[in-house]
Amino acid sequence: MTILEVNNLKKVYTTRFGGSPVQALANVSFSVEEGEYAAIMGESGSGKTTLLNILASLDKPTSGEVLLKGKGLSTIKEKEISAFRRENLGFVFQDFNLLDTFSLQDNIFLPLVLSGKSYEEMSRRLEPIARKLGIGDILAKYPYEVSGGQKQRCAVARALITKPQLILADEPTGSLDSQAAEGLLRLFKEINSEGQTLLMVTHSVKAASHAQRVLFIKDGEVFHQLYKAGMSDEAMYQKISDTLTTMATGGGRHE
Amino acid sequence: MSRFFYPKLAATNLKKNAQTYLPYILTCIGTVMMYYIMVFLSENEGLGKMAGGSQVQSILSMGTYVIAIFSAIFLFYTHSFLVKRRKKEFGLFNILGMEKKHIARVLAIETLYVAGISLGAGLLGGILLSKLIFMVLLKILNFEVPLGFEVSGPALAAVLFLFAGIFLLTLLNTLRQIHLAKPVELLMGGQTGETEPKTKWLLVVMGTLSLGGGYYISLTTQSPLAALTQFFFAVLLVIVGTYCLFTAGSIAVLKLLRRNKGYYYQTRHFTAVAGMMYRMKQNAVGLANICIMATAVLVMVSTTVSLYIGMEDVLRTRYPQHIMISTPMPAQQSVEGLQTSVKEVLVKHGLEGKDRLDYRYVAFVGNQEGDRLITNLSNISDDSSSVREFYLIPLEDYNRLAKRTASLGDDEILIYSSGSKYEEDTLTVFNRTFSVKERLDSFFENSPNRVSISGSYYVVVKDMDVVKAMEEARAKENGDDPSGYRYYLGFDLEADEADISAVYQDIRTALGSDYPGSSIESPVAAKESFFAIYGGLFFLGIFLGALFIMATVLIIYYKQVSEGYDDKARFEIMQKVGMSREEVRGSIRSQVLIVFFLPLVTAGIHIAFAFPIITKLLAVLNLTNVGLFAWCTAGTILVFALFYAIVYGLTAKVYYRIVSWGTSG
Ligand SMILES: Nc1ncnc2c1ncn2[C@@H]1O[C@H](COP(=O)(O)OP(=O)(O)O)[C@@H](O)[C@H]1O
Ligand SMILES: [Mg+2]
Repeated sequence: MTILEVNNLKKVYTTRFGGSPVQALANVSFSVEEGEYAAIMGESGSGKTTLLNILASLDKPTSGEVLLKGKGLSTIKEKEISAFRRENLGFVFQDFNLLDTFSLQDNIFLPLVLSGKSYEEMSRRLEPIARKLGIGDILAKYPYEVSGGQKQRCAVARALITKPQLILADEPTGSLDSQAAEGLLRLFKEINSEGQTLLMVTHSVKAASHAQRVLFIKDGEVFHQLYKAGMSDEAMYQKISDTLTTMATGGGRHE
Repeated sequence: MSRFFYPKLAATNLKKNAQTYLPYILTCIGTVMMYYIMVFLSENEGLGKMAGGSQVQSILSMGTYVIAIFSAIFLFYTHSFLVKRRKKEFGLFNILGMEKKHIARVLAIETLYVAGISLGAGLLGGILLSKLIFMVLLKILNFEVPLGFEVSGPALAAVLFLFAGIFLLTLLNTLRQIHLAKPVELLMGGQTGETEPKTKWLLVVMGTLSLGGGYYISLTTQSPLAALTQFFFAVLLVIVGTYCLFTAGSIAVLKLLRRNKGYYYQTRHFTAVAGMMYRMKQNAVGLANICIMATAVLVMVSTTVSLYIGMEDVLRTRYPQHIMISTPMPAQQSVEGLQTSVKEVLVKHGLEGKDRLDYRYVAFVGNQEGDRLITNLSNISDDSSSVREFYLIPLEDYNRLAKRTASLGDDEILIYSSGSKYEEDTLTVFNRTFSVKERLDSFFENSPNRVSISGSYYVVVKDMDVVKAMEEARAKENGDDPSGYRYYLGFDLEADEADISAVYQDIRTALGSDYPGSSIESPVAAKESFFAIYGGLFFLGIFLGALFIMATVLIIYYKQVSEGYDDKARFEIMQKVGMSREEVRGSIRSQVLIVFFLPLVTAGIHIAFAFPIITKLLAVLNLTNVGLFAWCTAGTILVFALFYAIVYGLTAKVYYRIVSWGTSG
């Protein structure tokens, strides 16, 4: 079943002071199936964050549409959009986006508190997640008291606790050292194997090689995609590198 | 590197940080101006030569100290805020290869620029404004305004000396901070992670006790004399209490709220409690500063304004009659002789005394202990709150003045008390016990109802024999000569101030040599010195009020700016996690409002509790018109609140621009 469908997305940034408009996305179309783990790759500045922000309904496309479980994001009323986002989407960001005013536990609870859940229910939901992510004994700490990897795992917990349809991750390993990054990628694989749909945006070949499918964007369009289909991480890594080389040397588009 | 590299870099830095430096420089200019003007006035020779001018100048020179100390603390404080904001920038310079000594050089040049601009503009403004302020002061004091324009050398020197010192200190402090920090720490700058604030219960208890103590003193102090000594103690307690409760108390309350899970984990409370905790940790001291300054402004302005407005009242309270003569009457003098002398003066001026009031009395001071009066002078003043003035008046004079026909036995008295109530049934003084026949609710019209700093009793005794006997007993106890009784003669005149003044002068000359030890008073004669003192206080109150308000504005501005930068990031995260823009906006707005108006509301509460003790202090200064003071206080609070709200509106704009209200998303 298709969970996310993106059709002919275009995004043009018009700067306020009369600068020339920047086209971040030209014509992006793809879809994500339920239970899939997809990665989107592209150079810095290729429009990955822009795409993710639109998928997250944090930003609006210039044209084109995004369907989540068949429902168009543009049809949701402004008032309901945050509740919709809260209940259907989970986010993991490069810079964690944890609030320094809250303990880690409260950071994880935040979306549930906003949905009006009781404390008992929140604790009940957190318990298995915390165990799986190995953050049980740092929950009372504050973001600045723990390492980047721990922060990112808390951000993942925050994304998981709402039981979202889809988790969107923007460069989740971007601020982590290689060991912590490796840990996070394993974690993603694990939650994906339990049925969680994941869409990750990255420019790290390493990170992308863990996904089942990799989409490449260049010049604001989906340039190419690769299926892992039983390949090992190493083989996938090699294949992605090759594709990137082709792209960089201006090779033609091929499916 | 070019010779001009550092000066250029310094200039660019200031421009780049204009949003925080401009208000700082404006404040420097403002304080320079105010300090110059205050020194100028307190050193001005013309003012010193005017009648009462030297009194005004001693009040003003007190003001110069206040401004100097305040400027130093305040500029130091705001500057440290600027440096905190810029640490990241210094760290970057450091990492880009500038050594710390180079950074120090840039900072020194920056400080020179700031000092130059501040002193230049401040002195220019001060010199130009000094004439205007001088005229305003003279107007307030009811003095003639002389022509001419002066620049005061000593004032210039004082300003240069003080502010050079302040700027040097701030520079040294900055250099010390830069020197101590590692580049990485500098880069981390202001955001070195927020540690969870600890609950300091000791401070909470201390704050509650000392605030409660301060309030208690204000509410329970009865005698004005005690008020005088207790007031500063109460102020100190309230200041300590305010700091403790703002810093520790607020955190304790918020933590208690957070511990209550049912309350805390509700959508509306969740972000508010955590947000407030963070804000209070960041701003508690700044908010306590604002609160105390607001309270100080309100007290200063409301008291000095009501004293100034109520000056006629004050004069009337202190001098109920136009001419007031009180003179000792030893055996060789006679009341008739004095009356004749006064009469002659009045006839000469073609005037007649109206509402004439005269009586014989003796007065003495003692400590009241229950129904006893301890008059031994060496014991007096140990406990100031029980000090009483006693006026003994014969029944004959009382009946005449009060138009009564009361009668008294040898050991019976009537008693009228002003200040503190006399509750006993008997009164023992100099080993003689009187029984109180009647407590009077009023004495007689225009009675010298002086609000002395201690309580006063007016005691009516059977006749002059008793009065004289008491005076002899007093003299015997104190080992001096009995001075006989005293005679008071007072009356009003239907004449203008100049004539009253002339009569007053003539009576002084007429009685001067024949009646040694007599006191002759008139509101007309006292008016000038009252104007000098109360006008001087009024001026100082307004002037310092303006200074404090300026400081308050600046603290608020910096608070808003720094919070804006912090909130911007938080605002974005909250939206990403699924809070709607409206929710975030509402939550932040209510937090900003609470933080903003907390000091004002607290200041209001302080003022309400301070009201009783301040009315007693004003009574010492002869202002008994509580209604007037209440109005002045209410008016001052209203004006201040209005001003505060305007400042809020303006700085909130800056704040919302920083968090880019409405543009993101
Ligand atoms: N808010 C914005 N306003 C104008 N241009 C933007 C904005 N956000 C991104 N861009 C531009 O859009 C392009 C794509 O940016 P982004 O989506 O952040 O790329 P990526 O995440 O792949 O590095 C870049 O050229 C960037 O400069
Ligand atoms: Mg990006």
